[in-house]
Formats: sequence, structure tokens, C-alpha cells
Amino acid sequence: MSMNEQPAWDGRTYYNEPQLRAAPFNNALVGGYIFLAGLSGAAQLLTTVMDATRGPGAASTTRRGRYLAMLAPTVGALCLILDLHTPQRFYNMLRLIKPTSPMSLGSWVLVGFGVTSTATAVLQFAADRLRGSRLRGVARITQVPAALAGAFMSTYTASLLSATSTPLWAAAPKSLAVRFASSAVASAAAALGLGERNDRRRRDLDNLAVAALAVELAATLASEHAERQVGIDDGGKQSAGRAAVPLVLLLTSLLLPGFLGRAVSTLGSVAALGGGLAMRVDTLTEGDTSARQSHRSLRFAQPDNLPRA
Amino acid sequence: MEMHPRVSDHAASDLDRAIADEAELTAGIRIRPGRSYGFFTDTTLCIGCKACEVACKEWNNLPADGIGLTGHSYDNTTALSADSWRHVMFIEAGVRDDLAQPFQSGWLMMSDVCKHCHNAPCLEACPTGALFRTEFDTVVVQQDICNGCGYCVPACPFGVVDISLLDGKAHKCTLCYDRLKGGLEPACAKACPTDSIQFGELDELQERARRREADLHRRGVAGAYIYGAPGTPGATGGLGHLSAFFLLTATPETYNLPRAPTRPANRIAPSLAAGIATVFGLAVAALSLFTRSAER
Repeated sequence: MSMNEQPAWDGRTYYNEPQLRAAPFNNALVGGYIFLAGLSGAAQLLTTVMDATRGPGAASTTRRGRYLAMLAPTVGALCLILDLHTPQRFYNMLRLIKPTSPMSLGSWVLVGFGVTSTATAVLQFAADRLRGSRLRGVARITQVPAALAGAFMSTYTASLLSATSTPLWAAAPKSLAVRFASSAVASAAAALGLGERNDRRRRDLDNLAVAALAVELAATLASEHAERQVGIDDGGKQSAGRAAVPLVLLLTSLLLPGFLGRAVSTLGSVAALGGGLAMRVDTLTEGDTSARQSHRSLRFAQPDNLPRA
Repeated sequence: MEMHPRVSDHAASDLDRAIADEAELTAGIRIRPGRSYGFFTDTTLCIGCKACEVACKEWNNLPADGIGLTGHSYDNTTALSADSWRHVMFIEAGVRDDLAQPFQSGWLMMSDVCKHCHNAPCLEACPTGALFRTEFDTVVVQQDICNGCGYCVPACPFGVVDISLLDGKAHKCTLCYDRLKGGLEPACAKACPTDSIQFGELDELQERARRREADLHRRGVAGAYIYGAPGTPGATGGLGHLSAFFLLTATPETYNLPRAPTRPANRIAPSLAAGIATVFGLAVAALSLFTRSAER
């Protein structure tokens, strides 16, 4: 009997028992890592762009960016190891490279990013203390592979979630990736902006954060639309506010002069960072819920949701 | 009932050694590496005795879990888990009337198990290589490699793989890998008193299932169909066939099975492309912003 001859699903489930298993992740640890990976990766990328365009004129911003990029290989990696159920075997992540596993690819990206970012940060640290050294020039070279790895760091985590059977993560792989990527750039611009003393550079970073948050907002709405289309929308809470609030604050700050503008910008930057972290943790938690609810997972696995051949 | 001629070689009930190629006596096949093996679970023959659950627990030394009564008919196992690799489901479909189709018409029973998918999502997701494909074309977790990352758990479209909190590793049905190596039929299939669970070479099992489906149609069970063989529900979305497949008489959802599951790894490329495009798009925006104000 082919698929089309099957009687349609009447909506009944097996005693409401889950049809899927939710990921056994600690959502605070893994959500925290995804946030830090995005923040660090995008910070390295933006710093490299800043260094390429402004050179020594933006040395203080570049320095902060390179130190910010150390969050993922240190705190972030620790979060990942702590999340393992057998943490003493963390090094088994590097037994092989598996293209079908974003977690395998991501482990290698994290290693590559960690090595190049650490090298860049150490060179920065040394160059600041050894006058007239050539180390600054070496850092300008090592930052390039670090920035490329940083681009992957800020988005591979979305592929990792989409490459599962959890309905909410699998429903809209592209918009989830756009959300994670834009939120990473927004967090990095916000974090760099918070420490920025130069008004012009701060405005640039705020402008960039506004652009990234606008992309995130659009992708969030696209995700919610996709969830309704595949029939797994839980009709629950709206998540657009996590991008909309910092977006409005930062836009307002760009219109306000002087101290008031800076104050609102600080508020907006903090909201962007908090929103970025909350978005990752909530995505994990809401995904777990969608996996546990068999009426949603069985709906997602209907033939009308099969990819078009 | 046919008996294999070799059966009479082993008349004693207490044997002092293992029988070579025992599967030939119990399942009619010699198990050889390099061939594909699987389960055909014919739910029209299941009587809900749970001998498969018990045999599995005993052979694999699995601890008890979920001690208690659920109130879900006779199903107190509830789901496949790290400690339960066979799970007999009970569906009380309603009061039998004269027009109902024969075979489990009012009460459906099914022994669920890991599907050992052709493109197994758990195996594709596993970052350590702990999950691997054996020489019998089955999917097994190597306990000495698994670091308990848990990524195989949400990857599985059937909710089979589970992390044990007792040892922090992923566990699921091994299709009795150790028994296959020793020439023995898997414990559940050997224990099944009605041959609802049949073990064998995959090609032969699929052929047998098609014959059984046609036979049931002839005998009036119009709703009988195969789940998990090529071209049937369950073997969709790039998953390929399922090495443990089923003959069902109600919708897949009745048995808590997804009608059209998909292969998660197929979502990696579009997702990565969209994400990288976004990052580089915003990097170009940064480049133009920083360049413009540098010129001012």
C-alpha cells in the first residue's frame, strides 16, 4: 500500500505519550555556549573588518574584539564539556571528521577558531608590551583565519539544531540559521559598542547592530510563519520582542544627542546581549517541548511536509 | 511444523557447549558478515506476551525501569529507552463487531524496536564515531567510545536512542550484535512464541512481508500494509529503508510511528548556506559602514 492510499491521520496519539525524545542537553549550558560562540565568532569577524578598514586608528576596538573572541574557546568550551554525560571523554569529539554531523564539524571549527583566536589574542597582548615589535603585523595575519572560523562559529549551531528530528528546530532550517547568524553579529556589535569610547565608532557599531537586529526580527517572523505552515505552531508566546526591543532602543539612541543617546544606546546594547542569550536558551527549551508533544511531532511527520523532490 | 534436520543432533535439554550456527535451527539461516539482517515484526501475530521484552532484558543485562502501572491498557513500559530495547504497545481500538476485520481487530499489539535505518540519523549525527554500522548492516553504539553528548537522541526520528543517567552513555537495541557474531538469532526473535518477530536476511524478510500482506488482503484484512520497506510509509524523506520494519493494520500514528519521517542530515547544507550568507552579508554591511565613516 502506498502512502497515498493510507487513511488520513485522525489526530489521535498513543496515550499522548511522546513520539520523540527531547535532546538531553542542559539548556543553560548549551544555550550559553551557542550565545558565546556567536558573540566570539562575530566579534572576531567584525574586529578583522574594523582592522582592515581603520587600521591602527581603531586599535583599542580591535584589542577588545580580540579579547572578546576568547570567550568561546574558554568559557564556551567548558560549557560544552560540562554538558557531556561522560565529560572525561570530551576528546573523543576529535576522533574523526563527519560531514553529516554538525556537532563533529563544529568541534573542529571550535578547535580551529580557538587556536587562531588564542594566537591573535596572545600576539595582541605581547605587542602591547613590546614596543616596536612586528608581532602586531603577525596578529593581522592570524586574525584572517580566525575571522573565517568565526563566521562558522556564529551560525553552525543553528545547523546543529536543524539536523535533528525535533520539530521546532527542523521546521525552518534557513530562517533559524539567519536568526542565529544575525543575532551573533548583533551581540558582537553590542558588546563592542558597550566598551567603545570613540563616539563615531560607537555609532557605526550601533548602526550595524540595528541592521543585524532588523534581519533577526524578519527571520523570527519568517520562522513563526514556517511553523504555522507545517502545522506545529503552538499558538503560544511571541518571540519577536527579543529582537524588537533592542532594535527600537538602538534606533532611538541614534536619534538622540550626547549623553542621552549614549545612555539609551547602552540600554539597547545590554538588551541585545540579553535578547541574544534568551533567544538561544528559549529555542532549546521550546524545541524540547515540541519533541515531547506527539500531536506536534506526528503532525510535522505528515507527507505534506516532506521536502519536494 | 517443520524442523531443521540438525535439530535432532541436539536432543539433550542441557547442552555443554554452544550449538554452531544455532540460528540455522531457530530462524532457518546461517548468519554471515557482509550481509544485511533485520527484523520483520508482523503485528497481526502479536499476542502481547512481552516475551521479547523479557528476553531482551535478560540477554542484554538491562536494568528494570518504569516500575509502576500507567493505566495505558497493558503497556507499562511506555516507550523504548536506554534500558528497554523492545516495547510492546497495546492499543484498545474499540469493541469488536461482526464487521470488524479479523486479526487484532479490537485490540492492536505491536512490539516496537530500533529501526536500524539505512541512513541512520543517530549514526550520521554521532560526533565521536561511537555509533557505527556493523558487518551485519545494523547500527550499534560502542560503549567504550560514547561520551554521552546526547546528539543522537534528538536526531532519531523514532525517539529510540536514549542516554542512561546510570552510566552517561547512549543506549539502544544492538540487534544482538554479540549473538549475531556467535551465530545466534537475536534474543527477542528467538523468544517470540508466535513468530510475530521474525529475524532474517533483509531481502528475504521484505519478500516474506509482501507475501504476508497479499495473503492478508486476500483474507479480508484490507488495511494491512508494510511500514519501513522501500516505498512504504516510514521509509521516506531520504531515510532509506528500515532494517527493522513492520506489518501494521491501522494508521502509523496509532502505533506512535511517524508517517513520513525525514533524514535530518539533509537540512545541514541549506541551513549552513543561509547562515554563512547572513554573516557575510552583515560583514559587508560593516565594511561599508566602517569605510564610509573612515573617509569622513
